[in-house]
Amino acid sequence: MSEPRHALRHPQKPAHIPVDRPTEGIRPEETPLYEARKIVKRYGSFVALNNMDFHIGRNEVVGLLGDNGAGKSTLVRMISGINPPTSGEVFINGKKTDIRTRAESEASGIETIYQDIALVDSMSITRNIFMGREITGRFGFMDHRKMEEVTIDILGSAVQISGIDDPRKEVGFLSGGQKQAVAIARAVHFKRNILLLDEPTSALSVRETEHLLGYVRDLKKEGTSSVLVTHNLYHAFMVCDRFVVMSHGAKVFEARKEDTTIEEVTDHVIRT
Amino acid sequence: MSNSQADHIRRAVAERAGRTFPAKVADWIRDRPEGGIAVMFCIAQILCIAGALMFPGEFRYLLPANIAVTLKSIAPLGIMALGVGILMIAGEYDLSVGAQYSFLAIVCATVSNQLLGDISEEHASAAAPFIAMALVLTIGALIGVFHALITLRFNIPSFITTLGGMLLWKGATLLYHGASALRFKPTEPFRTIFGGEIGVIHASIIWFSLFAIAFYFLLHHHRLGNHFYAVGGNRNAAVAIGIDPARTKIIAFAIAGFMAAFSGVVAATRVGSIQPGGGLGMELQAIAACVIGGLALNGGRGSILGIVLGTALVFTIQDVLLLLRAPAFYFEMFVGSLIVIAVVLNTAIRRSKA
Ligand SMILES: Nc1ncnc2c1ncn2[C@@H]1O[C@H](COP(=O)(O)OP(=O)(O)OP(=O)(O)O)[C@@H](O)[C@H]1O
Ligand SMILES: [Mg+2]
Repeated sequence: MSEPRHALRHPQKPAHIPVDRPTEGIRPEETPLYEARKIVKRYGSFVALNNMDFHIGRNEVVGLLGDNGAGKSTLVRMISGINPPTSGEVFINGKKTDIRTRAESEASGIETIYQDIALVDSMSITRNIFMGREITGRFGFMDHRKMEEVTIDILGSAVQISGIDDPRKEVGFLSGGQKQAVAIARAVHFKRNILLLDEPTSALSVRETEHLLGYVRDLKKEGTSSVLVTHNLYHAFMVCDRFVVMSHGAKVFEARKEDTTIEEVTDHVIRT
Repeated sequence: MSNSQADHIRRAVAERAGRTFPAKVADWIRDRPEGGIAVMFCIAQILCIAGALMFPGEFRYLLPANIAVTLKSIAPLGIMALGVGILMIAGEYDLSVGAQYSFLAIVCATVSNQLLGDISEEHASAAAPFIAMALVLTIGALIGVFHALITLRFNIPSFITTLGGMLLWKGATLLYHGASALRFKPTEPFRTIFGGEIGVIHASIIWFSLFAIAFYFLLHHHRLGNHFYAVGGNRNAAVAIGIDPARTKIIAFAIAGFMAAFSGVVAATRVGSIQPGGGLGMELQAIAACVIGGLALNGGRGSILGIVLGTALVFTIQDVLLLLRAPAFYFEMFVGSLIVIAVVLNTAIRRSKA
């Protein structure tokens, strides 16, 4: 951390909270949709999440920010159950819940757009969208026609995806942005209470990004809260109601949008 | 607001559905890995039939006896390859199926003979061979589960687990029975059900067809089949979306073991005796048939039609070489070249599309 450089950037604005020191952050006022307390996640001796508190309120978009390797994706995967914590507690609607598999997070209405997309290249768009949640008739046989029909609707409405006109196309032949759009479309279709978006716009065009951010804002009104992980603070400021900045597996700054400025948040992200 | 977008997809889909039949076939050949092999298979058949019509005296390809023998010999490898192929699509290997084939056939014959299931017994039991077969099919599936549990529990490549398994079951065969051949002449109706013939059609080829149809529906139309592709194509994505890869792979391993056992029993019924070393190398032939049929070595890609055509093509070549009285080593040379050509073609097609 180099003081002179910061002084140069924001000469008149010292940070409110000492940098690199974990902070308690904001306590939820009403019972949140989701709350994680004192989460520790270790990979061997490496501590990826260190006593992290995190909550998602009702009708809220939370911006999860931080440097590369801060632990944002680790937290997202923890919430979606595929990377269960080493210790800590999780509460859904105030009720203590054990979420240690994807099936359990799905039961709690959590849907995720993963940073690494999580699509199978060798399968068609339709099969990717319904992977693990196939529409089946009797004895578990798939209803291909219905799945394709829904896929066409999803591709046309949720996020505008340029250049996809064949739901049977193999995902491996799509462009990076198209793949990301398919992953978004899938999550958006199945979303219920909470939508986690881990750098969802990294491969999207400007138009698609605008569309997605607008969509996330609209979701709030329908009762779906979101967590947006992004490196783009302008995007974060466009849609988020609260910001959480992470560094080295811990929360170092948390503020509501009305209590902070983009400069202050930027300051915390680059200082840590 | 974006319904127009869905409409344009709908139009494109309708347009594709309205293509002429030849156009659909041409696209299928270009887009599907089994399309190329289907073309190769058809060309091979046309050449063989033309040759047989031109030189009926020398090249007896169309003689009923030849057709019967070829169909008969396809079945054991084909049945085994269906199991191996499904496991490959789920992203794992089983190198032990050849050893299981011999071991389980011998267990089946021994148990059946002990229960008086041999046709020459005085009070021969009709149920004995069925009981023995049910037993070894169960054991085959359990061996698959056993391999799966070791592979998944210790997170090691199944190539290693089942290489160990291959040696283990080969040794177990010798320990259990010794190196001599074993007689297996089961009582009726078992003999007819698994070894009977209608014209040129042997019972084993009917069983192969039934399994191919059943697995076609399982793999391409059942939820579980979708999970095989997902787990084999991108394990992490499957986990992220809530598919349990362990459960899926255990089922695939069990299918491979079950099919190896079935194949061993059917082959033993046809021949009437079992050589303890008879299954050696079959695992590689089964994998070869799958690869020729367009299955990807690293999983997630392939089809039942591909497995069937791959097996059929291997045996067409074998048959032609036999009819031409070529020495046996030509067969291996041809199959070896075919594997490489098939993979080169598939890779080239994929690359030209991407
Ligand atoms: N499976 C793993 N085993 C060991 N360490 C891991 C594992 N997964 C993540 N880590 C480590 O945990 C830390 C946090 O990683 P994470 O992916 O959560 O970062 P991030 O905040 O999402 O970064 P980015 O902005 O680059 O996506 C990193 O130092 C990473 O190396
Ligand atoms: Mg990340």
